[in-house]
Amino acid sequence: MRAVFDGSFIRESREYEETNVNQQELEGILQSMKEGWIPASVYSDPRVFEREKNGIFEKAWLFIGHESEVPKSGDYITRNILDDSFIIIRGSDDVVRVFLNMCRHRGMKICRSEAGNAKRLVCPYHAWSFRNDGRINAVPFHQEAYGGEAGLKLDDISLISPPGVESFDGLIFINLGEQHGSLREYLGEYATYLAFYTKPSSAGIELIGPQRWRFKANWKISSENFAGDAYHTPHTHASIAEIGIMTAARASSRKGGATFHVGAGFGATFKLGDGNFEERLRSIGYTTPMIESRRRAWPEVIQRIVGEEGHVPSASTVFPNLSMLHLWARVDGGETPVPYTTVRLWQPVSETETEMLSWCAVDKDATPEFKEASYKAYLMSFGSTGMFEQDDTENWSAVTAMSRGILGRRAKLHSRMGLLAEGSPLNPPVEFGGPGIAHVGFNEHNQRQWLRMWCDYMDNR
Amino acid sequence: MMNLNDMEGWDTSHPLFQNAYRFLMKEALCLDSRDFASWLAMLHPEIRYRVPVTITTSQGDSVGVSAQAYHYNEDFWSLQARVARFGTQFAWAEDPPSRTRRFVTNVMVGGGETADQLVAVSYFLLFRSRGDATAPDLLSGCRRDVLQLGDAGELRLRERTAHFDEVVLRTQNLALFV
Repeated sequence: MRAVFDGSFIRESREYEETNVNQQELEGILQSMKEGWIPASVYSDPRVFEREKNGIFEKAWLFIGHESEVPKSGDYITRNILDDSFIIIRGSDDVVRVFLNMCRHRGMKICRSEAGNAKRLVCPYHAWSFRNDGRINAVPFHQEAYGGEAGLKLDDISLISPPGVESFDGLIFINLGEQHGSLREYLGEYATYLAFYTKPSSAGIELIGPQRWRFKANWKISSENFAGDAYHTPHTHASIAEIGIMTAARASSRKGGATFHVGAGFGATFKLGDGNFEERLRSIGYTTPMIESRRRAWPEVIQRIVGEEGHVPSASTVFPNLSMLHLWARVDGGETPVPYTTVRLWQPVSETETEMLSWCAVDKDATPEFKEASYKAYLMSFGSTGMFEQDDTENWSAVTAMSRGILGRRAKLHSRMGLLAEGSPLNPPVEFGGPGIAHVGFNEHNQRQWLRMWCDYMDNR
Repeated sequence: MMNLNDMEGWDTSHPLFQNAYRFLMKEALCLDSRDFASWLAMLHPEIRYRVPVTITTSQGDSVGVSAQAYHYNEDFWSLQARVARFGTQFAWAEDPPSRTRRFVTNVMVGGGETADQLVAVSYFLLFRSRGDATAPDLLSGCRRDVLQLGDAGELRLRERTAHFDEVVLRTQNLALFV
């Protein structure tokens, strides 16, 4: 804590206390969370959100985009993480880089469009310009205004990069902390599971989108939900089963799925019917060439889980802001479903509002017809108009609103599914064919692990 | 955004302007009163219903909508599936239903590609109120519709392209038609 010397410091210190949750309060929250009781206030307390900014978003690896969003040299997109705007740009050397979208001169935002192509990025304010690899290109009147190199060494100037930028199969992550480990260490063995989504073929995936919209919910609720909430599917999404878009959403089918967590990742599966690798993938709409390409590209672990165990990964979260999901839906009057994958970034706007960036991901090597059908299946199910997603945001905004009340914020919410009262597990973990801790059937082991990870970051350890 | 430059000669004096205008007014009334059966009956069986994603691009760079990404890219089957969902007991996003008001203005009408088609362009402002929320959701945009003339002079919506004016939509879901 800062020392208090005079009136102005006293005021600042009070402001600090008012805008940040204090240590004693935090310890109470963490203790409760670890026991599976979520203090509802964490979904709407601005002081908790302030702590999350430094505790989580300044330390964890954050998803920011995909290399397929900038396919050609010079292509760029802009994207926000909290209040920072970033440029993701493919240089003339074909390397994808991430820069803070801020001029090194007087801090102007350089790119104001969401997407474009540029050899050079020119600041609108005083025309400092930067090459698409981030180095300075030119400073107007360098000689007259600065005395040339004597006053301003051009080699010393380049756009600011986040302290960490790494990618996994095209998924770009940044780390805003000066001290951080590698992305691969962070993901741990979850990297194997990510490949289920990112490696449908040796060509990988391309992202279509994003759709962007805002909902009045705390960002944690959605990230936790995708981490393993199979329990909500049969009821929240009952309409999807009823109209026949996806009958597997029913409880009788959903309860056979598994949840698993390892590293910074969390996943859930759907249990498919009897059959081998090929038959099971065929049952959810994959054709022979698509099955063969997965046989070649997927890690052995994924092939075993799908082919031998009959578990196909569905929802997935990489803490804190990336979720993915793979399902299948009917897109016309026929019986054959079409599989689809969505990738989403949960972008916190405030403690009670989240911006959603939702993409459809397709195998780069898929036929144009499949890509179109898969996009259609995505649109009908997820994204701004998706019939799954519509009902999720309705839940999440209402949970957030309830957590703001005088009485509501005092409530401790139940996150103990799969544990008996004294804390022992209802069912032991299962052999699952892949790394991590897995359970079959409805449970909240993943969500509790997600909350423990949140606690560890909030606790600054 | 939607290119209106090719609308030379278009105005409100097309001989079938009133027919097209009446169609759009009736459609808004059907949707706002949640009479989806009547709305579906106004659609052509081969309808293409598209709302591409709006993006911010530099002037002259492109038209400001994505070439690949959509909010809606529907045919009759998928639209009727969405309507069927509202008929279940589990469409929580619209139960209780939103109160909506579609303000459709700035209508202009011109001839279509064939003699039995009209093209109608309009602006819309969609007001959506949910529960006791005091801040309504607003969706502003424009539409280009192709209307198919039937033998008896009746019109059906054959094609709709709508563009939103906002990149980040201020509504928690699009459980509604524009």
